[in-house]
Amino acid sequence: MRRLGIGWLMVVVAFLYLPIGVMMLMAFNASPFYTLPIELTGHWFTDLAQNEKLLDASRNSLLIATATAIISTVCGTAAALVLGRQTFRGKRLLQILLLPPMAIPWLIIGTAMLVFFHWTGIGRGLHAMILGHVALSLPYVMLVIGTGIQTLQPDLEEAAMSLGSTPQHAFFAVTLPALMPSIIAAGLFAFAVSLDQFVVSYFLAKPGVTTLPVEIYSSIRKGFTPEINAISTLLLGASMVLVIAFAWLSNFGGAHERR
Amino acid sequence: MSAVDIRGVTKTYGPVTVLDHVSIGFEAGRFTSLLGPSGSGKTTVLRIIAGFIIPDVGSLYIRGEDVTTTPVWKRDIGIVFQSYALFPHMSVMENVVFGLNRRGIRGAEARRRAAEALETVRLTGFDDRRPKQLSGGQQQRVALARAIVTRPKVLLLDEPLSALDRRLRQEMQVELLRIQRESGLTTIFVTHDQEEALTLSDRIAILDRGRIIQQGIPSAIYERPRTRFAASFLGDANFLPGTVAQGAVRVGDVAVQCDAALPANGTAVTLAVRPERMSMAAPSESHLNGSNAMAGVVRQATYAGAVTTYRLDGPGGLDLRVFVQNRDGTRFAPGSEVRLQWSPADTVCLED
Amino acid sequence: MPSEAAPAITSAPPAFAARGVAWTRRLTTGAMLLPAYGILTISVFLPLLVMAFFSVLKRSPFDPGPLSFTIDHYLVFVRRPYLIDVAWTSIQLGLWITGVCVAIGLPAALALAKATEGRSQKILFFLIILPFWSNGLVRIFSWTMVLRDGGILDYAYHLVLPSAAPLGLLYSFPAMVIGLVHAYLPYMILTCYLSISAIDNQLIEAAESLGARWPMTFLKIILPLAMPGIISGSVLIFVPVIGSFMEPRILGGKTGVTMGTVIEDQFTQAFNWPLGSAMSFAMLGFILLLFGVFGRALKQPATAAS
Repeated sequence: MRRLGIGWLMVVVAFLYLPIGVMMLMAFNASPFYTLPIELTGHWFTDLAQNEKLLDASRNSLLIATATAIISTVCGTAAALVLGRQTFRGKRLLQILLLPPMAIPWLIIGTAMLVFFHWTGIGRGLHAMILGHVALSLPYVMLVIGTGIQTLQPDLEEAAMSLGSTPQHAFFAVTLPALMPSIIAAGLFAFAVSLDQFVVSYFLAKPGVTTLPVEIYSSIRKGFTPEINAISTLLLGASMVLVIAFAWLSNFGGAHERR
Repeated sequence: MSAVDIRGVTKTYGPVTVLDHVSIGFEAGRFTSLLGPSGSGKTTVLRIIAGFIIPDVGSLYIRGEDVTTTPVWKRDIGIVFQSYALFPHMSVMENVVFGLNRRGIRGAEARRRAAEALETVRLTGFDDRRPKQLSGGQQQRVALARAIVTRPKVLLLDEPLSALDRRLRQEMQVELLRIQRESGLTTIFVTHDQEEALTLSDRIAILDRGRIIQQGIPSAIYERPRTRFAASFLGDANFLPGTVAQGAVRVGDVAVQCDAALPANGTAVTLAVRPERMSMAAPSESHLNGSNAMAGVVRQATYAGAVTTYRLDGPGGLDLRVFVQNRDGTRFAPGSEVRLQWSPADTVCLED
Repeated sequence: MPSEAAPAITSAPPAFAARGVAWTRRLTTGAMLLPAYGILTISVFLPLLVMAFFSVLKRSPFDPGPLSFTIDHYLVFVRRPYLIDVAWTSIQLGLWITGVCVAIGLPAALALAKATEGRSQKILFFLIILPFWSNGLVRIFSWTMVLRDGGILDYAYHLVLPSAAPLGLLYSFPAMVIGLVHAYLPYMILTCYLSISAIDNQLIEAAESLGARWPMTFLKIILPLAMPGIISGSVLIFVPVIGSFMEPRILGGKTGVTMGTVIEDQFTQAFNWPLGSAMSFAMLGFILLLFGVFGRALKQPATAAS
């Protein structure tokens, strides 16, 4: 029975990685029409360097992802600190308000953003996409940092104060550094979410200002070329590396203690 | 001259009074324990001395100075928390020099003094380790070194040994005492473990539900508890209720002599006798002169190697306990009738 | 030893200190919450409200002319019956994907929770979760490589039967199902895994010692206790699926017409924003209904995990 179970797990893992593997393989296939059998080449990747549109889109994606990571981490840390350490009226409400952005389909949020931004003159483009991405990643960022705060020992700041630190000094010398792994993990997470974000970017993009996923989507609609495989492989690789970094930081950073 | 003095301190949280007019003086250089069950307010007293809580009424003096409202970071204290509270992102050395840095002592001088403190707690060679790489006992030593390196006016310990296993606990108790003697710091120790308090303290203050029950030298409290609570919290006791009559106390049919002064005839009192102060003999043996005696029937005998604990039924339904050292293998089986004897000097008349 | 007799001063600490602290406290609390919740308000809460407003307008407010209100857009399902088909397609898609995910994911989660342990368990768990957090668009695209005519499956099929017609797997309902299952399967495995790992092994052992064979243990013990995980996974998969438009377009081709694509059309092709808003809100209402009905089950995996 046990071997059956493990066998099934292997099937599932194979299923999960099959298409990804095929796609990556095709990125190295010389044939521009995906005809098999495979002839290995790397020229689709080098071709990417000439593709202005894709390069622009990549630059935008990175820019937006970086801005998103920084903004959502700063805002999210401040808010998470308040929610995690103080009690006041309305705190429950604020916590519940974090659920809609996570639960509502991106289609609805994306279109709502489009409507509102257009109506209020915020418009579309880089700034709109940054705003949208930050809003979507904030609940997750606050969740990660909130968990970090919960695992923080409450008497660290008290210990610092007993040794002569003012509350402000205690916060910057002790609490913040102790939270740093969580904050960085949250930042990486926000970066990855922003990089992969398609739906909201799709609605908030404007001609000439798009992100990589949006460009990939347009290319797919026009027809398949191995260039898409190449850039997709790169994008996938990048997000996987980020996720691995995030997992490493949040699981193995300061969580083990011997007693 | 007291190093630390709390006077008339009261603290309430809504309808709950956590401390009720508590006054304690802590002598300089002494090891004083705050002993009590949970909810007694002992940790609150500690936190008021530390400065994390400001009392509603009353004041706090450290070395003669009124520090009731002085912020924590200006009080020059050292605390060892129950959870040690070591800074996880700093090394052992960085943890210990933290307080020195805050006082303007940095660099080589700070490291030298930190090394001294670490040597005092017998933890050299771990300077660059992180707290999570240390065992519980080692972490505690670091916490201790960190607290004493600044030579604070008072050292506060909040049940620091409760997370350790038994053997380690006993080891650390010895260490703690040695360190306190060596450093000469005024030390205030919070615990609920009466054995720990007895072993370590120069002075004990017993608290219950926000009030001081009794304070003084351990042996004084143990030999002469003033209330039922003090008698049963610090050690075990047999309680004998009776009435004062002609210079003795009538407990049922028995007249019990007591060395201390008794209230007026007719007053209802409770006497307390420690189980180890009673001896058991067969009814046929001769009665010791001058000692109190009472008949009893053995209900249960529990053998524990060095000591046998007997539970007996006394006259009038009294439930009595006697500890007998197993010096010569004499045993009394359940059901045997015995005569209990003890000295009037060991009879305490309780105030409640 | 009681304290020496010294002037007994009972003084109450100054009360002003407490009040002053509370005031600045509230200011800093507000200042720290403002950026995050401000952004959320501008980007999520206000837009949703404005979209609700739009949904009852007759014409787009950007068109000239006065604003007039109507609930016609919400009645569009009555006016254009083909939309009911579209909605039904979306729901079918949702049901299929959820069902397949349960069928594949529950055994996988069971195996992961109970048949593996320690290091290999962590590695397997990570391998399963990893694709989930990588680019969704790319993963859908990768399926086109597999399913398209001339792709891997078609190629292998023609190796065996060279003269057969092309498989035509891509641009069909099954293609959408496969792609979406692949995208959301890790989610189901995760929620079921959390529920199942909370099941004490001793329960299973107790059942076995009482004579239960494996199917019985599964039905009577594992399944009910895993139900919160199954339900929460189902809801959290069903909701995004019925709102998806990217996957149907890429994998479904002409058959890929769902509520998601219709709504997207209103905003990017037809520019009928009031109608699009109304449809979005109708879908939102449906989703809130689902959460209301299944909400209790959603809370449980979270507490089981902590």
